[in-house]
Amino acid sequence: MDRLIKKNWWKALGVLILLYVFVMGMLVPLKPGITQVTPSATRTNSQIVLDVQGYNTHFDEAKDTMRIWIKMDDEYILAATRITVKGPTQVEAAFEIPAYLPSDRRVQDFALVIDNHIDGAAVRPNALLVTQDSIDLAMGQTVWRSDRMENLHQLKGITFPFRNILGETIRNTYFHVSLWLAMMIIFTAAMVYSIKYLRKQERRFDHWAAALTTVGLLLGGLGLLTGAIWAEYTWGKFWSWDIKQFTTLIALLIYFAYFVLRRSFPDEAQQARISAVYNIFAFVALIPLIYVLPRLTDSLHPGNGGNPAFGSEDLDSTMRMVFYPAVIGWTLLSCWIASLLYRTAVIEEHLWDEEPTHD
Amino acid sequence: MNMFRQTLRLLWRDWVLEWRSSYALSGIILYVIATVVLVYSALLNIGPQLWNAIFWVILLFAAVSAIVKSFVQESQHRQLYYYSLVDPLALLAAKMIYNTLLLFGLSLLIWGMLALLTGNPVKETGLFVLAVFLGSMGLAIAFTFVSAISAKAQNSATLLAVLGFPIIVPILLTLVKIGANALGFIQDTSITGDLLILMAINLTLLSVAILLYPFLWRD
Repeated sequence: MDRLIKKNWWKALGVLILLYVFVMGMLVPLKPGITQVTPSATRTNSQIVLDVQGYNTHFDEAKDTMRIWIKMDDEYILAATRITVKGPTQVEAAFEIPAYLPSDRRVQDFALVIDNHIDGAAVRPNALLVTQDSIDLAMGQTVWRSDRMENLHQLKGITFPFRNILGETIRNTYFHVSLWLAMMIIFTAAMVYSIKYLRKQERRFDHWAAALTTVGLLLGGLGLLTGAIWAEYTWGKFWSWDIKQFTTLIALLIYFAYFVLRRSFPDEAQQARISAVYNIFAFVALIPLIYVLPRLTDSLHPGNGGNPAFGSEDLDSTMRMVFYPAVIGWTLLSCWIASLLYRTAVIEEHLWDEEPTHD
Repeated sequence: MNMFRQTLRLLWRDWVLEWRSSYALSGIILYVIATVVLVYSALLNIGPQLWNAIFWVILLFAAVSAIVKSFVQESQHRQLYYYSLVDPLALLAAKMIYNTLLLFGLSLLIWGMLALLTGNPVKETGLFVLAVFLGSMGLAIAFTFVSAISAKAQNSATLLAVLGFPIIVPILLTLVKIGANALGFIQDTSITGDLLILMAINLTLLSVAILLYPFLWRD
């Protein structure tokens, strides 16, 4: 580590990776999506005209290839009878809902699918709710004129997935989530150095532990801040006492206490030893706080309390191409900052120990 | 003398010391009675939800004032003397066991006082006793170790609060949840899971404390 801090290649690498993350993360457009469908409910045996709002779409340029369906499942699909394009992001589609649905539920939900040659296919799940006047599964299966949904267009170019509610804020994944992961890496490293200090009793390990903890605290603060901004957009409030927000705040308080503890010892060796002990203890106390408790209680975060997980489906391969480099980039940058803090601490100690030759 | 006998002997010594300087124990008991009476006369009508919150909050502060003196009450020289006589881990174990029992007794006192004034809202007594015992154990382990850390600094009482409060939050959150179940205003099927997690937190904190204490006591 001490040889590595004089080398520059990994610092340059970190900065380059972060530049890539910022450029890709901010400039790659979102996949075209559907933001609104009105009306959202109707009855059987009726004609309905749906007003569809698109996002990042080119309906007017792709007027000739526009196709719109409502879809119950892979078998029962209904194509629009008439499509009127109102603008690049607005289109009207008329449907004739038959008298019976091929479903034994009173209220059946339908997904809306739009396809054209520029934007490719876009889906909005649960776009339309249809209430049946009378339920008859057999009648529904005979009445239903099922249309084929074939030859869907593929969108060309690189895009990030479009998600309802999230919209453009999906880009925050590269900041909020990756800062958070980088923080865990840095705190783990700080704990490793605390253990090293207790084993070897060398002062430099204590400097490393303190420097890494400082940077970890900075990353945690930034993670909390980016999270709060994201929460304001998606949940409507900066702070809603979500269990994860709460436990993160407590985790940061534990590490603030580490610095309070450091300052309360005049003797350096004692300070180093006791703060190393506390750092290990705090890290162990952190694990139930961050990994166990949020799973017990309902949370607004994705993957908790019945919310869909933010993983397999949402983090698609394009996002992975930015997300994993972002974690590495933030970690490298944090190591750079920590190495600067470490060198400052070493120089300060050196100056302190030097006998004043003249005054 | 093996470690077990040393621990028992130290436990006895802690009890004798407490009894001789009975001002500390009676101070805590007075605090508990005063707080319960004050809370009762301010609120008069205490529902189960409020009861649960008040119970754990009073226990938390009783724990702080009971445990803060664990390592502070004896001078550095006397501690050095102990360490030369017995295994340091026996000393830590004795303090933790003593504090667990003390907190368990105090929580039974708080429970009794609250029940006397407001009626007993606890529906599942067995579960609540278990929660109280595991909670006393968790608070005792965490606060005893933190008080061992903070005793090394000058203003140890403040430091104990600053270092200890964030660390016991996971224990308290789980306790409040189990308490809510025992009082019957929340029905939860995963209650054994909560108890196991509480036990797991206690054991992890205990094992880390045992691993780290050898680095702490030397001075």
